[in-house]
Amino acid sequence: MKEDERAVLVDRRVLSPDAQLLFFRAPKHSKTFLPGQFTMLRTPGEGLLLRRPYSICSAEPEKGRFSLLVKVVGQGTRALTELPMGGEVHCLGPLGTSFEPPTEGRRPVIVAGGVGIAPFLCFCESLARAGVVAKVLLGGRRSHDLYLKDDFAELGMDVSCTTEDGSFGWKGLVTDLLTEVLDESQPARLYSCGPSGMLRRVAEIAAERKVPHQVSIERRMGCGMGCCLGCVVFTRLPEETEAQGEYRRACTEGPVFEADQIVWDRDPHPL
Amino acid sequence: MRPDLSVEISGLKLATPLIAASGTFGYGTEYGDVVDYAAIGAIAVKGLYLNPRPGCPPPRIWETPSGMLNAIGLQEIGVTRFIAEKLPELRKLGPAVVVNICGSTLEEYGELARILNDVEGVSGIEINISCPNVKEGGILFGCDPDLAARATEVVRAGTTLPVIPKLSPNVTDITVVARRVESAGADAVSLINTIPAMAIDVETRRPRLANVVGGLSGPAIRPIAVRLVYQTAQAVKIPVIGIGGIGSAEDALEFLIAGARAVQIGTMNFVDPSVWSRTLEGLADYCRRHALSSITEVTGTLRVEGGLPSGW
Repeated sequence: MKEDERAVLVDRRVLSPDAQLLFFRAPKHSKTFLPGQFTMLRTPGEGLLLRRPYSICSAEPEKGRFSLLVKVVGQGTRALTELPMGGEVHCLGPLGTSFEPPTEGRRPVIVAGGVGIAPFLCFCESLARAGVVAKVLLGGRRSHDLYLKDDFAELGMDVSCTTEDGSFGWKGLVTDLLTEVLDESQPARLYSCGPSGMLRRVAEIAAERKVPHQVSIERRMGCGMGCCLGCVVFTRLPEETEAQGEYRRACTEGPVFEADQIVWDRDPHPL
Repeated sequence: MRPDLSVEISGLKLATPLIAASGTFGYGTEYGDVVDYAAIGAIAVKGLYLNPRPGCPPPRIWETPSGMLNAIGLQEIGVTRFIAEKLPELRKLGPAVVVNICGSTLEEYGELARILNDVEGVSGIEINISCPNVKEGGILFGCDPDLAARATEVVRAGTTLPVIPKLSPNVTDITVVARRVESAGADAVSLINTIPAMAIDVETRRPRLANVVGGLSGPAIRPIAVRLVYQTAQAVKIPVIGIGGIGSAEDALEFLIAGARAVQIGTMNFVDPSVWSRTLEGLADYCRRHALSSITEVTGTLRVEGGLPSGW
């Protein structure tokens, strides 16, 4: 049940020079959201007009808290990282579709990079509660981009990391590590979230090996509620029709999509 | 005693002077419990053609200072699916239903009017004349007073419902278009639609929108809209509905004072869905403070010293 909730900043954890985990007290969000969902956030008085979508990163429903992973990329994100304790933001949500948990016994594989790591923390929290261990592959440019890697390990997930500069873990792209992992064993399900180039490559690999793959797509959003049609993703139509596909809303039919539904060639400018 | 906030626009009875702008409120039900439907007088649904349209490729939106650009491309489901799938739920929400219609030809506008005339639950038709006329090389109907008038005529001929052309600001003199559509039988006019605009990513040197040009909306356009509403209200006798960056009672009152009988809220609804109840309460409060028994008493009460201003 979505609501516009006043969320109060109660804690922050600095993850890197340009990223923080912000903890907000927001009882309704913390109790009702599902992993993969997002919230449309605005900071009253701050210069931007439209709300911005943030994946819900983790939640503690008993404390009425949830966290968002914020990386500074501009005015709004910088303002959030400077928000004082007790500062208030308005969160409209939870919104969108969520990750479907794996039904089979085989270990699921998660591939994430950048702020795309965020939605998987709460997903792994729910997997851990169900006794499922996921193979979590985190990729980044440098070691400090591997947000929350220790948190995933603490949940009992099997974590491997890649950095492009070799400063931590495997040197190279996380998608190259993915092919190695899949060579060893085929998971029942693959999940991914991160930069668009990474998602396309993961989708290719998954399609080649016929592994069901859920992807969380990031889009600029206007309303976040399904009305403005600003955030669309080109997807296949279920039956054979004249049109190649249709535009579906990342805020309502997404952000989590079955990757094989997305016509990747039709989305050259993802944001 | 609570002031009377209801308004009537040529037979269209609205419980409040606030209308959800077409293209910003979907087919009505998307917001769910987050909005106070009792504060909304009417919902102008997403513009409909006879047939579904896919819309433009993304990126379709981009924020600009105090505003946003959109080039959605009129993605819509077509009038038949709207009537069958969306209208039943929409009718139950409370606000009057105004259907915004689009046409690629004059004939299409007429056909849409005839179809909607017989549909229960539809209380009015808003004519989106900012559509490209495919028979005339894509010129927007709304940019040519003749075409705007002819579109209004065919819609007028097709229905007894209130007919409201939505005027584009992208014209030399909006009052010319307003007078022509009034003569053609419009029951009211709504203005303004978005302003053609664009933004550029300087690092990649590409437009921010896939369509290159989009429509600017939001608080940035409000002063432009207020001016055009004021001038139009002077030029026509039919009611004027004001649109443009309204996000508060104070914003709405600017338009009412300038001559509007009702207003539409669009972009600001994204920012804060509580805008409806806040604005309505603000209007009630204003009436109380100014000892007005009805919001209609505010319309057209701009005090200009020494007659009409020159130029502009």
